[in-house]
Amino acid sequence: MPFFKITLIRSSIGLPKKTQGVLNALGLRKRMATVFKPVNPSTAGQIMKIKELVAVSEVEAAMTSAEMKALRKPDPGYYIETPGLG
Amino acid sequence: MFGPFRATSPLSGGLLWKIPWRLSSPQKRRQRKRLRLVDNVVATVDAALKRQNMESGRNLVRWKEEMPTEEEMRPKDKYTMFDRKEKKYRKGIHKLPKWTRVSQRINPPGF
Repeated sequence: MPFFKITLIRSSIGLPKKTQGVLNALGLRKRMATVFKPVNPSTAGQIMKIKELVAVSEVEAAMTSAEMKALRKPDPGYYIETPGLG
Repeated sequence: MFGPFRATSPLSGGLLWKIPWRLSSPQKRRQRKRLRLVDNVVATVDAALKRQNMESGRNLVRWKEEMPTEEEMRPKDKYTMFDRKEKKYRKGIHKLPKWTRVSQRINPPGF
């Protein structure tokens, strides 16, 4: 089931209350926040209301915020050896 | 006469602000970039709905019917907008409040 990955790029400061309401309904509270919403006409209508503020892409599966954070985490550059059996 | 609080025409009262009457070329470039970003969002949403064989909502259909994309727009429409109070009925698009976050692409009929 495909999802829209919606990231808030531009802030809604000073924009009409209706626009801010759409962002709240989508769960976009601050800039660079990302949410996943199922692809359907009602989500599409919401995105059209805030199209100047967001970046949108279509993805196969939704990710949790923990998974997104794990993707951003850099490689630590070391690994911890465990004592071998032989 | 000199210093930060000298009597210049913007400071000596009234509403004389120094807003240039036209956009600079980097401003125009960023404006084109923003137009393309909005076009991309609309295209992504449209393609995603088509792939699911879902009909698009009213606002998406209307946008596709009425709004030109960045390539289809004339430079005049990208950087200026209609205003009935201006000489020759055009003013810079940067005079529109929140102009970097609202869509202003078409003219009233006949202009």
